[in-house]
Amino acid sequence: MSISGNDVDVLIVVNKEVGVSEISSAQLRDIFIGAQSRLSDGSRAVPVILKGGAVHEVFLRKHVGDSPGEFRTRWLKAVFTGQGAMPKEFTSEGAALDYVAATPGAIGYVSRVNGADSVKVLNVSP
Amino acid sequence: MPRRTLLGLLLCLWGTGIAAQDLGDIQVHGFVTQGFLFSSHNNYLTMQSSRGDFEWTQGVISLSDPLNDNLRVGMQLHMYEMGQLGEPGVDLDWVSGDYKVNDQFGFRAGKVKIPCGLFNDSQDVDALFLWILLPQGMYPVDNWDFDLALLGGEIYGGLNLGKRGGRVQYRGYLGQSRLESDGGYILQLADAGLTFPSPPAGRDFGGDVRWRTPWDGLTVGVSPQSQALDGTGPQGSLHMAPNLMMAYYAEWKKGKWYLAAEYWRTPLNLVLTMGGTVVPVPLDPRSWYPMVSYRATKKLQVGSYYSHYVNKAAETSLPANYSKDWVVSGRYDFNQYFYGKLEGHFLHGTALGYYTGTNPDGLKPNSNMLAARLGFTF
Repeated sequence: MSISGNDVDVLIVVNKEVGVSEISSAQLRDIFIGAQSRLSDGSRAVPVILKGGAVHEVFLRKHVGDSPGEFRTRWLKAVFTGQGAMPKEFTSEGAALDYVAATPGAIGYVSRVNGADSVKVLNVSP
Repeated sequence: MPRRTLLGLLLCLWGTGIAAQDLGDIQVHGFVTQGFLFSSHNNYLTMQSSRGDFEWTQGVISLSDPLNDNLRVGMQLHMYEMGQLGEPGVDLDWVSGDYKVNDQFGFRAGKVKIPCGLFNDSQDVDALFLWILLPQGMYPVDNWDFDLALLGGEIYGGLNLGKRGGRVQYRGYLGQSRLESDGGYILQLADAGLTFPSPPAGRDFGGDVRWRTPWDGLTVGVSPQSQALDGTGPQGSLHMAPNLMMAYYAEWKKGKWYLAAEYWRTPLNLVLTMGGTVVPVPLDPRSWYPMVSYRATKKLQVGSYYSHYVNKAAETSLPANYSKDWVVSGRYDFNQYFYGKLEGHFLHGTALGYYTGTNPDGLKPNSNMLAARLGFTF
């Protein structure tokens, strides 16, 4: 059975030490396009992305407004003009969750979170 | 031969599985492209394009290392060969230390890219664009050496203006630009009888302010710039006094559509002195273009633009003083790393991209061209 992008829910997760429980959609977008590097509590934001898949596509479409190709091009521009470095990238949600749990300020997206995962789920406000 | 070396690199990358290398926090990225150009008349961009020419190769390796939360260092090595321009050796595209105090203010120092208009600092990164050749009135591919980077520094930052205000980003720079001995300007000056043991250089400063408006997908901006240039050779000298140049631009992205337009006015006070004779070179270029592209599928993108350039300080009816180019282009992304492009040009006028040395019998006023390019990026 295949899962279309529309069937996937995306949860925004951050490291538990982050002192916010909500993020605006504009802030979320700015963090993932490299325009903002701090969360509203002043802590450093470290964006974490998935390499591909339905969750990655849905997150980019809903929260960044890019296709995966456009998102990659946006970051390649930053890399090749000396203005930035690519976000940390993972091939699986499990690896991304582990990194978010272990890295202060890390923020990422997954389709589900187990109770045992030591991350915090953020609400996204319009 | 550099082309063989790069093709070997391509095969190695393909065979081993291409991926950006992330060595701890150090990131390594790169790209390699190979182009082809065929023209119905004239030889374009120093290539033997009227016979079909493959001598159009580029390779880049980029390294970046975040030393701490605020400080990042990086460098980019660049190899470029296009007809008689560029060289097989490797040079530094940029190298900088970047200290970001906060989102509102940061600075870089070293050899830094020059922001001007929509694409100046990224015009040599082929993988970013649908187009093989960007509008040549603003982004001349034969003069990357002088236009793309300077030795000095820049400040940068951004400011959120709230939901109804959008976001403003700024960059300001100051430093020295110089002509490279294997670049287009030096070749044109040599065609005119002037050579330089040490390439001409001069002060360069300016900035860029762009406003991401609250209207979905619309960005507008302006880039003022001042460049000066001085050089002396055995046959004479070159002097270009500082002068204000302005670039205005807008882009709009909505779904599968992308629209952009720019207007540049770049008046230059250029004086050549040869054998005691002072020769003022009248230059008041005005350039503009509208472009549109559409993503037909995930892998296929198509588009078109019209690029207009005219030197208002000279007789504008002469083909040597204008360049009007209708362009249609297509790009196919075979996968995340590998793409191909095909582009048609219907070029009127000979003001841009032509050299006496590769057109010894003179120029026809019009030429059609077919360009193709394959690229890998990782």
